[in-house]
Amino acid sequence: MTGQTIVSGGIQLAGAALAPLAIGAVQWLKARMQGRRGASMLQPYREMRRLWTRSRVRPDGASVVYEAAVPLSVASTFLALLLLPIGSVSPDWGFGNDAIVLFGLLAIGRFALAAAAWDTGSGFELMGAARDLTLAVFVEALFLVVLALLAFPAHSTDLIAMSASAAGGEAWREPAQWAAAVGLGLVILAEAGRRPIDNPDTHLELTMVHEGPTIEFAGRDLALLHWTAAARTWVVLVLAAGVLVPHPGGFAVQLLWLPGWLTAFVILLAVIEATQPKMRLLRVPLLLYGGAVIAMLGLIGRLLGAAV
Amino acid sequence: MTLAGVSAIAGACLIALGGMAAFGRARNRGLDIQIAGVCFLALAGLIVFWSGPAVGADFRSGIDPALGLDPLSGFYLVVLCVVAAPALLFARASLPESGRSAPLIALTAAFVLSMAALVAARDVSTFLVAWELMTLTPAAAMLVWRQDEDVRGAVIFYVGITHVAAVGVWVAMLTLSAEGVLGGEPLGPGGLRTLVLVSALVGFLTKAGIAPFHVWLPRAHPVAPSHISALMSGVMIMLGVYGLSRVLFLWVEDVPSWVGVSLVGLGSLSALVGVLYALVQRELKRLLAFSSIEHAGIVVLGIGAAVLLDAVGQPRWAAIAFAGALLQILNHAAFKGALFLGAGAIGEAAGTLRLDRMGGLLHRMPLTGGAFAIAAFAIAGLPLLNGFVSEWISLQALLRLPVGDSGWFSLVGALGAATLAATAGLAALCFIGVAGVSLLGRPRTSGASEAAEPGGAVAAAIAFLASLCLALALLAGVLVPRLSELGPGFWPGGPSPDLNLPDTGSLPTPALLLALALLAGLVAVVRGSRRAAPAPVWISGQPDEPQLAWTLAGFTKPLRLMADGVLRTRRESTTVSPAGIVESLRFRGDVPHLFDTHLFAPLLWFAARGSKLARRLQSGSLRAYLGYLMALLLFLLLILRLDLLS
Repeated sequence: MTGQTIVSGGIQLAGAALAPLAIGAVQWLKARMQGRRGASMLQPYREMRRLWTRSRVRPDGASVVYEAAVPLSVASTFLALLLLPIGSVSPDWGFGNDAIVLFGLLAIGRFALAAAAWDTGSGFELMGAARDLTLAVFVEALFLVVLALLAFPAHSTDLIAMSASAAGGEAWREPAQWAAAVGLGLVILAEAGRRPIDNPDTHLELTMVHEGPTIEFAGRDLALLHWTAAARTWVVLVLAAGVLVPHPGGFAVQLLWLPGWLTAFVILLAVIEATQPKMRLLRVPLLLYGGAVIAMLGLIGRLLGAAV
Repeated sequence: MTLAGVSAIAGACLIALGGMAAFGRARNRGLDIQIAGVCFLALAGLIVFWSGPAVGADFRSGIDPALGLDPLSGFYLVVLCVVAAPALLFARASLPESGRSAPLIALTAAFVLSMAALVAARDVSTFLVAWELMTLTPAAAMLVWRQDEDVRGAVIFYVGITHVAAVGVWVAMLTLSAEGVLGGEPLGPGGLRTLVLVSALVGFLTKAGIAPFHVWLPRAHPVAPSHISALMSGVMIMLGVYGLSRVLFLWVEDVPSWVGVSLVGLGSLSALVGVLYALVQRELKRLLAFSSIEHAGIVVLGIGAAVLLDAVGQPRWAAIAFAGALLQILNHAAFKGALFLGAGAIGEAAGTLRLDRMGGLLHRMPLTGGAFAIAAFAIAGLPLLNGFVSEWISLQALLRLPVGDSGWFSLVGALGAATLAATAGLAALCFIGVAGVSLLGRPRTSGASEAAEPGGAVAAAIAFLASLCLALALLAGVLVPRLSELGPGFWPGGPSPDLNLPDTGSLPTPALLLALALLAGLVAVVRGSRRAAPAPVWISGQPDEPQLAWTLAGFTKPLRLMADGVLRTRRESTTVSPAGIVESLRFRGDVPHLFDTHLFAPLLWFAARGSKLARRLQSGSLRAYLGYLMALLLFLLLILRLDLLS
């Protein structure tokens, strides 16, 4: 194990602690843009600390499926953190570094919460879980098309190889990369549960998507679920910083690019959040189709480029 | 004679003996003997599959019967036994102890033997006889099991469609045999190759339940007894893929890429059609039948990817794509077998197969219910279980087309991968719903609240298959290199637990599963054992009544609204309001199967009209037949007289 892998592994683990900060920063910036003072960037940590002292809840009739849901979604999201490339390097944890496996790990939490929703039998929870799983159908299909573009320069779906070949930024000379950026942007918005696909601030039972399945959880369970939501956002943002945008230079220089790009993404998320209303649920697939069509056009463009 | 050969012969003899013994006094003894026979067959299959060499005869072009096993046959024999052993155990515990079930047991033996004979057939006559028997024995089993109108309709439909399609199999196999291909050189390019490929595609894919030839499948599977359904769905339809892969990768030289494109297209169509219609079913076994169409589609997608990757010169990935398809077949056998047997057990215990009348069965039958849940999550593609692993391989193989730069086939690969990902997402929605509505929550009817755990043998049969779902996820890295040797291309990857495919980030399921379990345990410990406060579920303060419980229809509503343009749901609501006061509301909604109404209804209409006309010719009157003979004679004489033939 070299120094580089130790550093990158340390940053992967630090993501677990820093993830709520990214969420807090988006909320703070959004409030500023809307002319409010807003809560401090550290607000997510305070909420988690408050929730940690509260008692958990056991809904009537809930079984082991409900009990296992939170540990499983926390554990799978944590594992996803360990697959991320940091500065085009990742320590060999023995979990591989595959892009599709990364998304699979994020899907485990969705599965666990949907099963818990059926376990409690709560209608509101099921409503959110059904929407979440339904949107995931379109998001997963979109992600695969985007991956077909992003994995091309490296000829591999290994995140380290993808990150290394994305570092120089040569891919941006092709229209395919711009199409992939649009598609990946939509995937990030959907996975992170941000507007216009979902509204992270709503707590009205009938409008929630990602927040819906958490409705029967309280206390430490809810604190852990808040962390999971933040960590999911962190994972997709670090992924985009690693495999989409250019980050030239040696390992140390690439490490400096990472906070820079993360800040840029946080600002971008806040701008989208402040300016876009939440879409009607049934229109979201059209948005995602649109992303897939653009990505397919990118692929066709690449093929035409190769043909002439 | 090697151990494998002896074991295979002993197994076949025991199964035949067990089938006959069913007519004796001890019915269970007959099934016991059959189970022992299946174990012997499994041993033979395992030996030949894992370590070779082939036993028995080689393929030959004559029509003298010949039997033998090579590694691919061995693999399919293992698939057969993986389902057959628990299915027989299930039958032993669930069939009534009366003489009525004796013919059914004998037919089960015949069914298992015909499938074993098909994979062991080494000449065209054995192959075709086994093929026909494999179609007819389950039909007979359905008729013996139930005698109502539904079953007769389903069986006619099933036998009719599979027989029309069997023409394709006959044409392909007889042509290959006549050309001396079975025992000799593969068929080179030319018109004959196109004929063989087209007829093989139609014939074998119909058996596999691939859209648009799938309409028999959702009719036939639900009406069969559960252990026959498990065998039909887990093994029989996949033997269509067996025949197809023999033709494509053994008997035909240089498969043209249009075959690959059509396979990817048809596979995508079936996967989507299967899972979309599964989502809107209300009856458990019919839902599972549609899901079999989906999985046959996923397998065919993998085969299509193998053909295309071979055609564009990526032999490593062609081998891996084929291995992924085979692994999907084995996985499907494990979870679909568990689900069909579980459906039988649940239907027996709850008194219904209507999903919205179940609920809370996990509390009432923890062992069977738990195993059913694991199988449902595995088929839903829950990451790190076996269904996810084989879908991951197929996704990677399809992605290899655009990622590995293969010209315009890139588009086919990207579209196929996107379809497969969407299918996985839909399957997740479908089977989380199925597990949730049947096993979790509270019972919806008194039948569900009084359900009891079935006998130990039933639970053991289902639990065996469910634990196989976990084992296959762990063993994938060891199995895939061996499986990749059975098809096209070449991949020099050695077995490793990491499933380290070239140019991917690898999928080390053992490490990931272990880490997941440890971390989840850690979180559970950190969360503390402080007592959680019991609380009612939040439903806006209303009293919690069973009528408020969610149904599968509610769970899939967002998707059905989004896919309404494809599904064309029929909704009909009537309000009874005499004198302006609403007395009752009636709502009826159903999703018609568009392939039935738009594609097969016109075909059936033509067939019925045609047979009506033909019936007019067959008047039964001697004079009319003499007239036909006279007309024919005159016609032939006329031809001779006018010298039309030369």
